[in-house]
Amino acid sequence: MRSKKMLGPLLLFLLPALTGLFLFKLYPIGNGILQSLYTTSFLTGGQSFVGFQNYITLFQDPVFWNSLKVTLLFNIIINPLQVVLAFLLALLLNARIKRIAWFRSIHFVPVAISVPTACMLWNIMLSPEQGVVNSILAAFGLPEQPFLGSSTQALGSIIAIASWKGVGYWALFLLAGLQEVPASLMEASSLDGAGRWRQLIHIIYPMMKRPLTFIVVSITTANFLLFSPMYILTKGGPENSTNVLMLESFNSAFLYSDLGRSSAIVVILLMLTLTAVAVQFKWLKASH
Amino acid sequence: MIRSLRSSLPVYIIHLALALIVLLPLAFALVSSFRPLDEIYKYMSPVTWKTFWPSELTWEAYQSLFTERGFGRTLLNTFFVGFSAVVGGLLLGSMAAFAFVYFEFRGKSALFLLVLLTFMIPFEVISIPLYSLVNQLGWIDTYAGIIVPGLANGLVVFLFRQFFLELPYSLIESARMDGASWGRVYARVVMPLCKPVTVSASLLIFIQQWESFMWPLIATRSKEYKVIQVALSDFITEYGTYWNEMFAAAILSVIIPVVLLIPLQRYYVQGIANTGSKE
Repeated sequence: MRSKKMLGPLLLFLLPALTGLFLFKLYPIGNGILQSLYTTSFLTGGQSFVGFQNYITLFQDPVFWNSLKVTLLFNIIINPLQVVLAFLLALLLNARIKRIAWFRSIHFVPVAISVPTACMLWNIMLSPEQGVVNSILAAFGLPEQPFLGSSTQALGSIIAIASWKGVGYWALFLLAGLQEVPASLMEASSLDGAGRWRQLIHIIYPMMKRPLTFIVVSITTANFLLFSPMYILTKGGPENSTNVLMLESFNSAFLYSDLGRSSAIVVILLMLTLTAVAVQFKWLKASH
Repeated sequence: MIRSLRSSLPVYIIHLALALIVLLPLAFALVSSFRPLDEIYKYMSPVTWKTFWPSELTWEAYQSLFTERGFGRTLLNTFFVGFSAVVGGLLLGSMAAFAFVYFEFRGKSALFLLVLLTFMIPFEVISIPLYSLVNQLGWIDTYAGIIVPGLANGLVVFLFRQFFLELPYSLIESARMDGASWGRVYARVVMPLCKPVTVSASLLIFIQQWESFMWPLIATRSKEYKVIQVALSDFITEYGTYWNEMFAAAILSVIIPVVLLIPLQRYYVQGIANTGSKE
């Protein structure tokens, strides 16, 4: 009786959001996995089941292997870098000094900067011919650099740009965690003669596990799937040096109309990300 | 006093350096956006004080953005999309959260776990199959195509649920005793108490929408539906030498979130703190 009366309001309140989540979040994942087993005929637009053929073709394709290499290289550098910098920044922003609120506000600014905006600004400033960064280098008597125009520097430049925008944002999460570490605990431990370093290892780190795990996982997923700097700044070049898997997948779908290949790449990328996240979970749990 | 100042001096110096790293590029962009184009190029190299300081100020770049490049339409689109996303997202999210907190039904916790799972799914992973779906719905190159897929947001459900759980249940009980319908309890009793979480969620949604790039890029083709981040990307390809306008466009894209965030900063941080630590 009671459940019957409740069913109307329950559906009314719950159904709109659930429909949206199922239709636009869960269904596409399933559909993507399915799509990776099909190929779309160029002439008829009809789809035919090809099993793992899309994957087999990928594994024989040097472009894919290069893309995989670039993606892994990018992530092996940028993820630890951003985690460490965000943690250091959060510690600095948690310092008990006067006017700290100003500095906190300043590092809040990157929240307002989108990745495309950051790309636009640095694209001009890093311009190989007339960019202000090269002018400054020249003023110090240093050689001018090609930055995004060179296959050896482009990936590094993108890492720097993404971190300029990202670190302040991630530090916000860690700062929120740091502020929950009780001051009394810190005072008691320094009375007991614990130095800064020991406080960091034995008090702050264990209490920060939760926000740390959160940002490690968030940073990793964000960067494995990072797309816009490569799309906007380099289109994967020069010489495919920034052609990450996400961009290769996008191009497969929208440049070469090969949905099967594109979906297969996304599935592989998803597996990679999940593996990385699983390893991190295990590592963060085990290290204490 | 002096001792503490001396020991914190290195911290201040590091902080100052970091602040400059964040702010200098923005300041440079702001100043350059008010300079004539030829002046920017003329003084760029070698570096003198004139590289950074304008001898002449002009609105030229901004004028051209609005008259020549259609930025008025772009901004209007972005505001409209952002506003719709906020209204729809708040409504769907708060209603679902209401059901999760106040209704009893079978499979509730499993369903909530599923909702949490969806907000861990990054948009990039689903964007390509989502394109096929939205295409079948006939929504490519429409406002609906940009807005609707993002309306149901697991994060918003989560934020509202956290807040509802802290409200005293007796309020709801007594309203029900007085014969208020669930719709009335939601609209008249619970939601009016939710101002802080509503502001947090609105900010998170609006800024997320303002800064979203990949999905609007995929879901729209024509100028009519272009939003700001896509416009920035196109600008780099089409007018990559108009540095003054590029700086002006970047400033426009930063200024709106800044204006919203300065007075509402603590609500945003509150939202972030809730997602980061309580999960």
